[in-house]
Amino acid sequence: MGFSVRELYKKYGEKVVVDHLSFSMDGPGVYALLGTNGAGKTTSIRMILNMLAKDGGTVEWNGGPLTLQNCNVGYLAEERGLYPKNTLMDQLLYFASLRGVSRAEAKKRIQYWGERLEATEYLYPPQGARGNAAKPKKADQLSKGNQQKIQLMLALLSDPELLILDEPLSGLDPVNTDLFKSIIHEEIGKGKYLIMSSHQMATIEEFCTDLTILNRSKTVLQGNLAEIKKGYGRINLFVKAEQDLRALIEGAGVTILSDVGFSYQCRVTGEEQANALLKTIVEKGITLIAFELREPSLHEIFVEKVGDAHEEQ
Amino acid sequence: MKNSKFRGVGTVFRYTLQQHYKTASVRIFLLVLFVIAVAAFPVFMTIRGGNEEVDSTQIQTLYLRNESGFAIDAADIHKDERYKSLTVTETAEDNDALAKKLSADEHAAAAVIALDDVKGYQIKGFYGEASAVSDDDMYTLNNVLEDALRDAQLRTLGVTQGQIELLHGRSFTTVIRADELKAGEEQTDTATHAFVNLAYSYMILLLITLAMSYIFQLCMEEKVSKLVESLLVSVEPMALLAGKILAVTVILFGGIALIVFGLVISYQIAKGMGDVSFIKEGIVEMFEFDPSKLHFHPGTLCLLILCLLLAYATGAFYSGIVGSCCSKTEDTQQASIAVVMFVMIGYFTASFTPMIESDGANLFVSLFPLTSIFVAFPNYICGKISFAMLLLAIAIQIATVLLLARLAGSVYRMMLLYRGGVPKPAQLFAMLKENRAAEKAAAARKEGSHGNEA
Repeated sequence: MGFSVRELYKKYGEKVVVDHLSFSMDGPGVYALLGTNGAGKTTSIRMILNMLAKDGGTVEWNGGPLTLQNCNVGYLAEERGLYPKNTLMDQLLYFASLRGVSRAEAKKRIQYWGERLEATEYLYPPQGARGNAAKPKKADQLSKGNQQKIQLMLALLSDPELLILDEPLSGLDPVNTDLFKSIIHEEIGKGKYLIMSSHQMATIEEFCTDLTILNRSKTVLQGNLAEIKKGYGRINLFVKAEQDLRALIEGAGVTILSDVGFSYQCRVTGEEQANALLKTIVEKGITLIAFELREPSLHEIFVEKVGDAHEEQ
Repeated sequence: MKNSKFRGVGTVFRYTLQQHYKTASVRIFLLVLFVIAVAAFPVFMTIRGGNEEVDSTQIQTLYLRNESGFAIDAADIHKDERYKSLTVTETAEDNDALAKKLSADEHAAAAVIALDDVKGYQIKGFYGEASAVSDDDMYTLNNVLEDALRDAQLRTLGVTQGQIELLHGRSFTTVIRADELKAGEEQTDTATHAFVNLAYSYMILLLITLAMSYIFQLCMEEKVSKLVESLLVSVEPMALLAGKILAVTVILFGGIALIVFGLVISYQIAKGMGDVSFIKEGIVEMFEFDPSKLHFHPGTLCLLILCLLLAYATGAFYSGIVGSCCSKTEDTQQASIAVVMFVMIGYFTASFTPMIESDGANLFVSLFPLTSIFVAFPNYICGKISFAMLLLAIAIQIATVLLLARLAGSVYRMMLLYRGGVPKPAQLFAMLKENRAAEKAAAARKEGSHGNEA
């Protein structure tokens, strides 16, 4: 059982756009595919879903090649839309029918997701003052955020085993962001395989267990997020005081990353260096407001890895 | 079918049709088209004006005041089946006296043949106010009298009855080569061949250009609405394209069937209004077209439908290839040139080959894939190519359609995620080659992995 990508490779002319990407999911969970713009994330997803011909590599689902026939996939693409002049209900029923969902079952699922995504008013137009039903809504009558709800419904209607979400939260207001997040949590809870791609590192950090960071077609970091963080150690230090500590911090050999007022974001080599700095501050009788030693955030790891790769090139 | 590339064709087909006919403007357009078709012949007959000949007459007595100077023989009037029992009474009475007679007899009519300075002779027909005689009845009798007057004039010149009948016969012109004359074969004349070629190729031209605009629009709609990727996890590109082209087929041929149905109703209505033989005669006279020389047999209609479907399929798949290269509405202008050029080549070939009158040229254009759909069928019914050659042309057309369908599927699949301008043919084929190589390599890897598993 599981999902695996091996040595995925793609080039356009002489330009390599995905360079031997490999990763796997042995069981349900969330895998994050991160990267800068043009790193090859979307191309990789398109090859995984057989939309683009691969120049190399394989994609397997439960031991066999992944196809539309043997894997029920739900996909929320980064470039997403709806037929602007068709009614929402028609489009949802069409997609459900394409996925082999019967009309009666599709109507039940649309009802469920309509309520869950708070989109029933667009799907089932309320009755007018004279008792006659209003015209069903067409896609171009909806705001971008509400269209996104329908697009997520399209991805979820077939109750997919493998769900690929490319920038699922982009363009959403905070209320809808929370709504989407709760639905993603539910899908994770149902034991599904999720592949998520996003530039919002906090979102990825909230959901994913494993990740791959791509930069200019190459894999620059891969593995379990918790282990990666652990590997980095607690090297981020935040110090806040009531007076200037710059000389003291620099004197202890600690690198200051940013300095706002008397708040300092620092990089230490390890816990020993942080402890030594703390001891110095205490000995000098300086009042500390905050002294926090923590693991690097995904954002920091991403910036560091992508930055390193940029420097190497 | 579960693993087929065509899974979902039916769903795409139904959805495309449903959305097309759901549009109010489409329904109104079809209704207008149907009404126009139904009204066509009756309106034409009304505009054409005048009277129509009747099949039977109410006139039993005719008072004839003949001032022409040529003695009209009543037997010439009785020759016409409708007036064989008509009593013809020669009279010299004035109009008032004739009017009194007509008022007294509802089955009586009067005719005055007088010299007219401008038009030669004029025949005026009269009937009473409360008469059973109709305008059309009187009009028919006037036509009979006109023929009788001409016969009287000819007899005065010493023309015999046999010669008069010969003069009434219609003549056709036919051009026959000496070798055909020897072999006893007779081919369709150039004018008829040109008319049939033009009419048929015009039909194909209309069919393909109409299909083109629909197919372009359908090929692009997922790209424009950014639905491609969501759709491609649900259906194979080939199934998507096939479903759309099938829907356009029904839309177009449904429209044509509606017009034909409307015209049939229209013809029946016109028939009830009077004589409709002028329609056929009008076409024959206008285009010097002799339908009797065409090679019609019971299977011709089936051949016509097959040839039309093949012509449509060729145009549709070609439009599918070109339309797949469009990413936005502006691209369709450039792309449509490619389709229009193809159609115009066929159309001009169909227009000019009858003028060449060469068996070799007719055979070549009937078998050449680019022109075959426009000329093979008309060349066959005009006797320019044999039935065996028509079958060969149909086989070539089927092969062309299959090739284009496969190519259209590959191009559509490849170009769905493409977002550039319309590629030039060389670029397109280079992209196809690269894509095909990648697909072959993937297939080889797949086979390899299966082999390892085994």
